Amino acid sequence: MMSDVAKWVIAFMVSLILQTSFVPVISIAGVKPDLLIVVLFFFSIKYGVLPGIFVGFVLGLGQDLYSPSLLGQNAFAKTITGAFIGLFNERMMRTDPLVKNVLLLMVFIVHDAIFLIVQVVTIGDPVSTVFSGLFFHTLPRALYSIAVAALFYVWEMLPKPTVRR
Amino acid sequence: MQWIIRFFVSHLNMSSLLVTSVASILMLSSTQVQQQRIARVLTISVFYPFQFYFNQTARIKNIYAENRRLKEEIALLSVKAAQTVENSRENERLAQMLGISKQFSFTLVPARVVVRDPSFVSRSAIVNVGGSDGILPSMPVMTGRGVAGKIVLVMGHMSLVQLLVDPANRTSVMIGRTREVGILETTDGNDFFIMFRAHADVAVGDTLVTSGLGGIYPKGLLAGTVTKLEENRDPIFKKASVKPEVNFDRMEEVFVIKMSPQWAAFKSELDSLENAK
Repeated sequence: MMSDVAKWVIAFMVSLILQTSFVPVISIAGVKPDLLIVVLFFFSIKYGVLPGIFVGFVLGLGQDLYSPSLLGQNAFAKTITGAFIGLFNERMMRTDPLVKNVLLLMVFIVHDAIFLIVQVVTIGDPVSTVFSGLFFHTLPRALYSIAVAALFYVWEMLPKPTVRR
Repeated sequence: MQWIIRFFVSHLNMSSLLVTSVASILMLSSTQVQQQRIARVLTISVFYPFQFYFNQTARIKNIYAENRRLKEEIALLSVKAAQTVENSRENERLAQMLGISKQFSFTLVPARVVVRDPSFVSRSAIVNVGGSDGILPSMPVMTGRGVAGKIVLVMGHMSLVQLLVDPANRTSVMIGRTREVGILETTDGNDFFIMFRAHADVAVGDTLVTSGLGGIYPKGLLAGTVTKLEENRDPIFKKASVKPEVNFDRMEEVFVIKMSPQWAAFKSELDSLENAK
C-alpha cells in the first residue's frame, strides 16, 4: 500500500516537473499535452471518486500556486474532473484502451469547460470563448495527450519479467 | 450535529466534492489581496519542504560545480607553479652558462637540446642551431660543466651531436695534475675508462681535461674525474675508470664552440696523403 502511495506521489511529481520543463519542448504549433490530467485520469480510474476528488483538488491547488492564474480555478476544475473520472472506476467496470481514450477526451472537455466557465464568471470573458476554447484549444490538446497516454498502454503491453517461486 | 456527521459519512463522495468545491469557490471569490495571502500561506506551509529540498539540491549541485572548477584551477596553478620553478632553474643554468661564456676565449653559440636519441643510452642529440648559425661539422659541444661531444651533421637550423657516450667517439684527455695523456673511451656508454701506461702517475680523484691533441676539442675543457684504478697483471697498461663531468641524461642547454678543427689548415695536405695511399 505504501509503495503504491509513493509510486503515485512520484508519478505526480514527475509529471508536474515534466509539464513545466519538458512539455514546452515537445509542443507542436503551441499545442502541449497535459500530463497532469493524464496521470490524474489513470489514478482516479483506478482508485475511484473519493481519492480522485482529493488528489484533483491538491493537484489543482498546486498548479494554481505554481502558475499565475486565478487561485482556485485549477483546483475547482480538477476536483470536478477527478470526481468525474472516478465514476468510471475500474473496480466497477472493465475498460479497454479504446474506451479509456474516449473517456480521456471527455475528461479534457469536462476539465476545460469548467476552467473556461470559471473564467467567464470571474473575469467576465464572453461566453463564446468557452466554445472556441473547447474547439481550438481543448480538442488538439486532448488528442496530443491521448497520443502521449497511448505510450502508457504500449508500455503495459510490453512483456514483463516473470518471477519464479 | 450528529445528523450532519452521519450525512457526511454516508455520502462521503458527495460531501468531499462539496467541501473541496466550496473551498475552491471561496478562493475564487476572494479578492486579489486575499488570494495572494492564501497563496503565500499555502506556499510556505505546503511547498516549503519541497522548496527546501530543491534549494538544497541546487546548492549541492553548485558545490559540485564549484568543486570541479576549483580542481581545474588547482591543476592549472600546479602547472603554472611547475613552469615557474622550471623557468627559475633554467634561468640559473643560463646565468651560469653566461658566466662561462664570458670566461671563455672562443665564441660560444648557446643551443638547446631538442631531440635525444631514444635508445637506452642516448648516444646522440639534436640541438637547435645549424648551418644558418654558422655551425660546422666537428665543432665541439660543451655544457656548463664540461665537454659533451662534437657536431657530426649540420642541417639548416639544427645539428646532430655525437656525445661522448657513443663508443665510436674517443676523446684525447689528460690528467690535469700530471699532464699524462690518454684516450677517454667507453664500450657501453655507461662505463668510461682510460688505458694509461703502467707507470703513469694517475690517482683516484684526478681531474681530466681535454688535451687538445685530437684536433677537435680545445685544450683544457673539463672531461671527468678518475674514480677507480684497476691494477692488473698487464705490464704495459693500467685501466682508470672515469666519471664524466656531464650528466648526459639531463642535458638541456649546451654551447657549441665556434672553432674549426685544428687540422683544417692542413686539410689539403691530409687529403693528398689519403689519396696517395
